[in-house]
Amino acid sequence: MSKVLKYTLMLLVIFFISETLFAQDEEDFEDEDGVEELTRQVNNFKPGLSRFLMRGYAHAGIEFLQDRTTFVGGSFNPIFLWQQSERLLFESELEIELTEEGTELGLDYADMSYFLNDYITVRLGKFLLPFGTFGERLHPRWINRLPSNPLGFSHDGQVGPISDIGVEVRGALNISHHAWMNYSLYVVNGPRLNSGEVEAEEGGQLHYVNYLDNNKSKTFGGRIGILPLHDNSLEIGFSGQYGKVGIADTKYEDVGSQLYAIDLSYVTRLDFMKSMLDVKGQWNSVRVDDISYPDPEDALQNYTFENISNAYYGQISSKPAFINNSFFNKLEFVGRYSKLELPSQAVWGGEDTQITIGINYWLDWRTVIKFAYQTLDSNGEDDGHSALAQGDAFLLHWSIGF
Amino acid sequence: MKSKKYIINTLLGMFFATTLFIVGCSSTQDVALAKSGAQLWGENCVRCHNAPSPTAFSDIQWETIGQHMRIRANLTAQQTDKVVEFLKMAN
Repeated sequence: MSKVLKYTLMLLVIFFISETLFAQDEEDFEDEDGVEELTRQVNNFKPGLSRFLMRGYAHAGIEFLQDRTTFVGGSFNPIFLWQQSERLLFESELEIELTEEGTELGLDYADMSYFLNDYITVRLGKFLLPFGTFGERLHPRWINRLPSNPLGFSHDGQVGPISDIGVEVRGALNISHHAWMNYSLYVVNGPRLNSGEVEAEEGGQLHYVNYLDNNKSKTFGGRIGILPLHDNSLEIGFSGQYGKVGIADTKYEDVGSQLYAIDLSYVTRLDFMKSMLDVKGQWNSVRVDDISYPDPEDALQNYTFENISNAYYGQISSKPAFINNSFFNKLEFVGRYSKLELPSQAVWGGEDTQITIGINYWLDWRTVIKFAYQTLDSNGEDDGHSALAQGDAFLLHWSIGF
Repeated sequence: MKSKKYIINTLLGMFFATTLFIVGCSSTQDVALAKSGAQLWGENCVRCHNAPSPTAFSDIQWETIGQHMRIRANLTAQQTDKVVEFLKMAN
């Protein structure tokens, strides 16, 4: 009996061991299946080298002007980024804007960049020109600290280019252990001169929309930015652009233009105020060679003038980001002085001065409510060269970057 | 007047070319090597806008944004890589 029991127990033990081993094999087999399935699923989500991303910004607001109160904005600027490979990037920005005529669609830029090496990038297409920094880096609504642009830095009374079509080489290099510089050299169509033969009152103005060049000459330009401090807090930039601007086969064919800009940026932490300090400034100067234009007041006569325009601004802002109060550390205080000087002897000449002070409230790092008080004084035959009317204005805008 | 203009333009062109040459021949030791990605993120982003939250975008999106910002802010490849790596790590 004991033998029978012994053999029975042995058989049961063998049975259980084999069952356990078999079950383990099955589990291993199932685990391998699971890993394969997981690997397949992960591979399905592998991003590859081609990547598409849409970013952009938008704004809306209300403006209390001297002669009217109006809601503005509803503008939307989608930015399309297509990363073709580690070396090739396409970028484009559209501007969809509501105007009195309806909805306007504009192409701010559309260019491809090829990263030649660590220090040289080649760009081709329509790109934002590094003529100073406002047009290239600071104009987006969620980056611009105030609801309006400085005088001469938007399409009204524009002094200096914002974008153009051509080719550019740019990059950054170290110049010492503490300092580095960035550079840009470009060749573009350049601005075109309004000869005044069709619109006599605009004779001598430069138009920066020249998508099919009006002559064989190309415009050359560039910018050098120096960052001399070890923490990159200070950047000083020098820009220049030269080219002929007249229409081919006319007396304006050899009329040249010389454009210069100096820009400054200083961003630092002020520990004693528990704040960030941001100082920005830019001076643009545009000179067109002397030549005569049809006199708007007498079609049979010509007139000439020294065709030099200047636009400049200085801006200071402070954000008490490091104080221990969740309301006050989202505030920002801004002040800006801006001036536009157009040739005084031209019928479109004159001077505008703009002073703007504002308070911003940041909902997060890229969403802001901006409230500003602005004055605009004009001295010239024209009633101001800004989109805003003369006098005082209150501006309340909301901007988002995404 | 024209010759004066061309002299000024030529001098400015020479200034650009000479500066690039000098910089090209200078020490190749990259300042960015000595700085962390977090430091470069804090220093360079705020030159134009508030420093972005690392959680605002995915790791893959940061790579594309890094390329975009390398062009816009004129950063070197090493600076860009360090900032992107920091943002991905902190994400």
